[in-house]
Amino acid sequence: MRMLNLTVNGRVHDVPVDDNELLLDVLRTKVGCTSVREGCGVGACGACTVLVDGRSVSSCLALAVRHDGAEIVTADGLPGDDAVVEAFVECGAMQCGYCIPGFVLMTHELLAENPQPDAEQIAAHLEGNICRCGTYPEICAAVTSAAARGARL
Amino acid sequence: MPVLHQPRDLDEACTLLAELDDPMVYGGGTAIQILLKQGLLFAENLVDLSFVPGLTAIEATATGIRVGAMTPLRRMETDAQVAGVVPLAAATYGHVANPRVRNTASVGGNIAHGDYRLDPPTALLALDAQVELRSAHGQRRVPVRDFFVDFQLTAVEHGELITAIEIPAQPAGSASSYVKLSSLGENDWPSASAAALLVTEAGRRTLRLGIGALAPIPQFVSVDVSGHDLETTVEAAKAAADPLIDPIPDVRGSVTYKRRLGLVAVEDAVRRAWKDQDDD
Ligand SMILES: Cc1cc2nc3c(=O)[nH]c(=O)nc-3n(C[C@H](O)[C@H](O)[C@H](O)COP(=O)(O)OP(=O)(O)OC[C@H]3O[C@@H](n4cnc5c(N)ncnc54)[C@H](O)[C@@H]3O)c2cc1C
Ligand code: FES
Ligand code: FES
Repeated sequence: MRMLNLTVNGRVHDVPVDDNELLLDVLRTKVGCTSVREGCGVGACGACTVLVDGRSVSSCLALAVRHDGAEIVTADGLPGDDAVVEAFVECGAMQCGYCIPGFVLMTHELLAENPQPDAEQIAAHLEGNICRCGTYPEICAAVTSAAARGARL
Repeated sequence: MPVLHQPRDLDEACTLLAELDDPMVYGGGTAIQILLKQGLLFAENLVDLSFVPGLTAIEATATGIRVGAMTPLRRMETDAQVAGVVPLAAATYGHVANPRVRNTASVGGNIAHGDYRLDPPTALLALDAQVELRSAHGQRRVPVRDFFVDFQLTAVEHGELITAIEIPAQPAGSASSYVKLSSLGENDWPSASAAALLVTEAGRRTLRLGIGALAPIPQFVSVDVSGHDLETTVEAAKAAADPLIDPIPDVRGSVTYKRRLGLVAVEDAVRRAWKDQDDD
């Protein structure tokens, strides 16, 4: 066990972790971020996406101890009036919602790099996220709508 | 569970690799974590390179660029210097997995993983890159064209780690393209892939082809296409690639399917490279 210092959604946490613990488990069980979800467990679905220092990471493949001092954003830490979340809600871009935190964070990363993506660029950035409910058309519309609102983290 | 070591410099990393029982370098960890979850990783000690300074730089050299082994794959795709000096590499790295895996996986870990389906080796073969290796005994360089030895086996020896990959600049007036064909999903591993680089030097025209996922190791072939037009270049490329194709049948396709798809990938890559050259 060692102490890990994480800033999660702007709040500092000192959490004890084992060397082999995954960031996914630390965030869910020790920090309480239950919007970070396990799907495939092998980097292929995006349900466990978090932003680490602004970059998307599959927390299911990330060793927690490598992230000492990191700034982490999870979907549950986004402000109530987050433009991406509002765009997803208004476009009806969800059914069960399990995958949506991952899609929302991938959208934030995309828009930070490319504020006005075209349809092809949206698909290229989000194609590694899986929605079992098949809400893809609504998700793509929501990303376009979020870009039009000038979404910014 | 293997024990994790986090050396603070290269010498310490090399000493650990020389002295520990069953050590394994931990790069981005994207492949290692999956093997751990599958119960297929038999290392006793993991040597994590993330706290070793100096392994994430992309530097210009006299002949091209040198990329530190811990550089995330995604930087290869987004870095302006990489796109300018070796556009084929930038395009190919951008096809690996998804942005999250590319943010975490490292350039060194990618090539060391040694999987025959990896995207980046196809471009590195065509570009004639060199792998820089280091151990407690010193440093050596291995051409990528000699790096893949056999199925899942690379030239990395016990006690060695990759410190960098050096990629010669794409020659002026060259044209290139990478084609990845996946049968299970847009974003899956390829069933067949090809990187094509057309180079004109001293009046000679050469097509350099890197081929992935079509044999137990990535393949390379160079074809003299001086005086050829597009159609005869395509035919020459397919004729040169055909004997190198030795597919492994799996859920992504049978031998027959992958063989046909392989020739489609080669043809598409050549046609797109040709178009790239016309557009310049
Ligand atoms: C969901 C998913 C989809 C994928 N799809 C693709 C795809 O479409 N195309 C593709 O090309 N790849 C794909 N991959 C594989 C991916 O490219 C590799 O997992 C990744 O590049 C490995 O890099 P890493 O730094 O994470 O390696 P690690 O997991 O850290 O290590 C992999 C191997 O390399 C060794 N190693 C690591 N660093 C070094 C070093 N510096 N020196 C010596 N040895 C070292 C390790 O000991 C280990 O044997 C996919 C992976 C995932 C998770
Ligand atoms: S659970 Fe991590 S990517 Fe699927
Ligand atoms: S909304 Fe159910 S998985 Fe995407």
